[in-house]
Amino acid sequence: MLLNRRSFSKGAAAIRRGRLRKAPITVRGLWILGVVVLAFSGVGLSQTVTVQYRFFTGLPQMDGNWAALKAARDGKVYVGLAYHGGGGHLVLYDSKTDKIVDVGDLTRLCGENALDMGPQSKIHAKFGEGKDGRIYFSTHGGLWFDYARFATPEGYPGAHYMVYDPKTGQVKDFGIGPRFEGVNTGAFDPKFNRIYGLTHPRGHFVYYDVATGAKLDQGRIDNFDSICRTLGIDDEGNVYGSFGEGRIFKYDPRVDSIRELSAQLPTRQKGISLGRDYNKSETAWRVVVWEQETRKFYGVEESATILFSFDPYAGPDGEVRRLGQLCIPEMTNNRNVPYATLSLTLGADRKLYYAAAGKEFDYGGSAGLAASHLITYDLRTGKTQDLGEMHVPDGRPVIGTNAADTGPDGTIYLVGAISVEATVGEQNYGGKIGSIPFRLALFIYHPKAD
Amino acid sequence: MKYRLFVLLVVGLNIGVAAYGQRDPDYDKVVVLQTRIDARDLGYTPLDVIPNGESGISSLTVAPNGYLYGATSGKRSHLFVLIPRHGYVQPLGVIPGATAVTHAVAVSDSGDVYIGTSPEGHLLKYTPQDQFHQGIQIGKPLPVTDLGQPVSGESIFALNIDSTPSIISDRKAGVIYGLTSPNAHFFEYAIAGGKFTDLGVVAQRVPVGEKFEKDKMMSRMLVVDQKGIVFASGENGAFYRFDPNLQKLEELSIHAPAVPGREPWTRVDAFLPDPSGVIYGGTSDGYLFRLDPEKLTVTNLGKPLGQYRIDGLVRGPNGKLYGVGGDKDDMARLFSYDPSAGAYEILGFVDVNRRPYYTWQAYVIGAMASDDRGTVYIGEDERISKLYLFYPWP
Amino acid sequence: MVYDSPRGSTDGNMKIARIILLIASMLVQVSLASAADLPVHTVQVDYRTFPGLERMDGNWSALLAGSDGKVYIGLAYHGGGGHLVYYDSKTDTVHDVGDLNVLVGQQSLLVGPQSKIHTKFAEGRDGRIYFATQYGNDFNYARVGTPEGYPGSHWMVFDPKLGQTTDLGLAYRGQGIIAGNYDPLYHRYYGVTDPRGEFVYFDISKHNEEILGRFNNWESLCRTLVVDDQGNAYGSFGHGQIYKYDPRTDSIRDLSVKLPIRPKGISLGRDYNKSETAWRVVVWDKETKQFYGIEESASTLFSFDPYAVEDGAVKPLGQLCIPSFRGARNVPFATLSLTLGRDRKLYYAASGREFDYAGSAGLAASHIITYDLRTGGIDDLGEMRLPDGSPVLGTDSATTGPDGTIYFGGAIEVTPQPGKPVEAAGRIGKTAYYRLAIIIYRPRH
Repeated sequence: MLLNRRSFSKGAAAIRRGRLRKAPITVRGLWILGVVVLAFSGVGLSQTVTVQYRFFTGLPQMDGNWAALKAARDGKVYVGLAYHGGGGHLVLYDSKTDKIVDVGDLTRLCGENALDMGPQSKIHAKFGEGKDGRIYFSTHGGLWFDYARFATPEGYPGAHYMVYDPKTGQVKDFGIGPRFEGVNTGAFDPKFNRIYGLTHPRGHFVYYDVATGAKLDQGRIDNFDSICRTLGIDDEGNVYGSFGEGRIFKYDPRVDSIRELSAQLPTRQKGISLGRDYNKSETAWRVVVWEQETRKFYGVEESATILFSFDPYAGPDGEVRRLGQLCIPEMTNNRNVPYATLSLTLGADRKLYYAAAGKEFDYGGSAGLAASHLITYDLRTGKTQDLGEMHVPDGRPVIGTNAADTGPDGTIYLVGAISVEATVGEQNYGGKIGSIPFRLALFIYHPKAD
Repeated sequence: MKYRLFVLLVVGLNIGVAAYGQRDPDYDKVVVLQTRIDARDLGYTPLDVIPNGESGISSLTVAPNGYLYGATSGKRSHLFVLIPRHGYVQPLGVIPGATAVTHAVAVSDSGDVYIGTSPEGHLLKYTPQDQFHQGIQIGKPLPVTDLGQPVSGESIFALNIDSTPSIISDRKAGVIYGLTSPNAHFFEYAIAGGKFTDLGVVAQRVPVGEKFEKDKMMSRMLVVDQKGIVFASGENGAFYRFDPNLQKLEELSIHAPAVPGREPWTRVDAFLPDPSGVIYGGTSDGYLFRLDPEKLTVTNLGKPLGQYRIDGLVRGPNGKLYGVGGDKDDMARLFSYDPSAGAYEILGFVDVNRRPYYTWQAYVIGAMASDDRGTVYIGEDERISKLYLFYPWP
Repeated sequence: MVYDSPRGSTDGNMKIARIILLIASMLVQVSLASAADLPVHTVQVDYRTFPGLERMDGNWSALLAGSDGKVYIGLAYHGGGGHLVYYDSKTDTVHDVGDLNVLVGQQSLLVGPQSKIHTKFAEGRDGRIYFATQYGNDFNYARVGTPEGYPGSHWMVFDPKLGQTTDLGLAYRGQGIIAGNYDPLYHRYYGVTDPRGEFVYFDISKHNEEILGRFNNWESLCRTLVVDDQGNAYGSFGHGQIYKYDPRTDSIRDLSVKLPIRPKGISLGRDYNKSETAWRVVVWDKETKQFYGIEESASTLFSFDPYAVEDGAVKPLGQLCIPSFRGARNVPFATLSLTLGRDRKLYYAASGREFDYAGSAGLAASHIITYDLRTGGIDDLGEMRLPDGSPVLGTDSATTGPDGTIYFGGAIEVTPQPGKPVEAAGRIGKTAYYRLAIIIYRPRH
């Protein structure tokens, strides 16, 4: 009765004309409730920005993506799709032909598909493009079972170092790196031709030297709850990561050793978790990018999505500067700013592009549904701008993302999740957030010129 | 219709939000009970701590006065002390000429701390002096007396001390026993006389293995029984016995337990003398055993864990034994063994969660010790390492 | 009758004795002359060694002359990584493709190394060379299934155009592959695992593997799998029995035929751990559509016609050993060195003593024995001798080049040079150093 079609339509029409008082009281009440709820949930009826999207054909069951996105020089965009309990996939989007190509199941690419052991479920590291045009990466495990299967015959055997050759379309496996552990965080240095990583769960700093085939382990860097998710590499081949309470370490390949710097990230105290993942310490940087023109890193830290710059060349230990908060504006200085995402990239227009979550976003582990915003920071002016909620052309909001990169033509790519309607029969989604099915997609944004 | 659905959707979405903010309780079940374990940094954080890369704890021993002494391995080795009354770790200095001190710290009745070093293989003596009033200065050398090198060209792999009173003059102040590496020499050092004696080897050959396996097999520790007889394990997991009265090192016909065929790679990782006179031990494959030094029998007590190594074995105040298993690629777990019931209990990962203050899990354990107040000390051996204190329950 | 000794009879006895003595000495001299004058029948062969890889200590089965003139060989190294090497017959150069441990990416793991290729190489229909790896030291299986033990064999392929290997993945956890062969029809690689003796295959197109279960005990693992022109795979098991795998039904059938093995008895210096109830090495003849092989117990040559009646037919064809051993109990254990030449002859390298590289019973020269498929004639070409006259000590693999050249993989003696380190893999007996070589024989027609 309250919500019959006629009264609702009349009421809706009245509201559209801005005449709320004219709407039947029931409909009026509902609208008010709706607005209140929207306001409470922090999802304002804000501006939107349209992004294109592409699904990963034939892979609806893939359930996550973190960091693993690379727009290469030849226009191919590489994505690592995760699948807990089974093999993740390496896929590429050819921006020139507008086609998605599935390179293959990671467990099969590592040759472990017949072994009934812990599968290669993810690429959780950044891809790197070598001088040879090949794409370097490492793999990761999915389920850890509270480590009850760690180092057992049926457990996860260890991450593989790998490379994809776009000329031949072939993947080469360099073998297992850290035994029994995944590579949680990774980066490739084209100068020294190495794949670097931080392992999970034991938090070791490791690397693979492509030229010599050497695989080395520099030892423990952190506890499993605070392993930083991004390694930054400067133009000299030095590798940086965060550890401890907002500290930064530097690995120098020339002396093959690690030094702990005195520079400190602008993290804030965590307090009791507000719906956050208690297992995260929130004392690390979340994502950093290297900026060649100023020769600095720009990054976002975990605790409050504070944007900072890190100049490794300012003094012997470098210099960190706080630049503001890169979150949805209404959440600035709030305690419950959602946990930072990994979706930060430097555009061709000297702007940082960051996809901020509306609520804690972790695919099937998300705190709830909310639209992700695209936030920019202009390196020239220091100005932050919220471009608005990201929506795909049919109006569906982008729920969240956790990887970003910039194409050679300035196109911004992100990987994340949008909602889908479940179909009867074979599962067409990767998981659910609450009761809403989601599927992974590649999002494409073409920045408008200023 | 669209609006109705939209409103319903918005309302619905905000109901199902995850409400709990505490730790996932499943993980709490797999770690040691959190009210019975704690951890200490190796110094006074954040600056006056043994540096990362030098902090792997590889020796722990409780002195007659109840102080815990420990030594680390890494780029440099450090000696530290924990005085239970104060409760914190105090680094004492860098051990000269050492990058590893492996189960090679022994304290005499007079309180002198003897340290066996690797790679230089010197026996050093540190005499504590009013440690409480000394400030921590990371990097300062430990003031030691160099007593010499037991066997030229060898490093010291393990040490123990026999402080049993002796009528022999140069043994009155106690005798230190040790093993060297790589050639498995067994030596003694008579403290009063200041003399080293090389008493022979416990392993002649590198066991058959892959080309990269080059170590002779010998126990990681020595044990002195109630009669002053010293035991070690050597080649093929055989037990060796040294009788100081006879000054004779002999290979016994008893062996550490092993799956048949794995004897060549078997060593005793840990020994623990028991007040009853027997000796408990743990092997590199993770077996617990009981050695009767009188009857010269070995009883295989089985494996507490599905993992290799017994990294340490100590006695708790309740008569139970406590140990840690897991090798360097694994994740260490604490277990207990009740000799009266012959029963194991698996206590879980060595992890401390004191958020927001600190949290750390130790994956590799280098040494264990326990004192007569019932505290079990567990030394982590990784690039970043902590000292754990475990308090067994009755 | 009383014999007295009159002086006349003594003289007669002495005369008879002298005659007997003379005849005896003549006989001795004749026999000595016969022995001295009988030339040692030899056949000259050429050889190439593997520069920088003198420590490689064995080779079994792993030899293939590809259609492009490259001769691939798998060199074994107990305790460390074996090597994949090829000899380019066109440029007369030897190339080291690499250490097997590094090629599979396990070099930093400090686990049981990929020490060998113990299977036959095969040239796939795509021109690539397929094979599988194997472990070296078994330690009485005390490390099987342990974290530090052998992780398992890898299916692998080498692309001669790119000069690169691709690791197709782990075959069977903890197991090596001791026998293997390729089927171009179904594009699969078949194998027998070691030590558990299970029949497995890798479907290259689908990148899938199947394990069909146990066939052998560890002391009777058959060392050669073969494939007919219909894609059926065969191996031996039990007491001289043969099984057939049919890819159409994906199932295995035990055939009723039997190999001509002989009972072993007490080992005469042989390897007691070998049951000697299996075929040793088998080759396919596409002209007669039959297999020809040698069984382990007495080096008896046999043919196996898989199409003659339902279960096929086996015929013994004679002993393919050094002639002086024929019918003897102590005929040396059969080698894996059998190949079909372009001249319709089987070429087999028979050892003079039990040959197993450093595990050999002693030093003796290896012979080339041929069997002519047209006439059934067996011919001993003689001891294989290198150009400098030194003998080939033994071989355990053979292949035929596209031009009919016969290649063997085996051991030659190394003579120590004063003041220089000995470039050898080990010793045979107490005195002789050896190293591996490809032996090259060009049949005369």
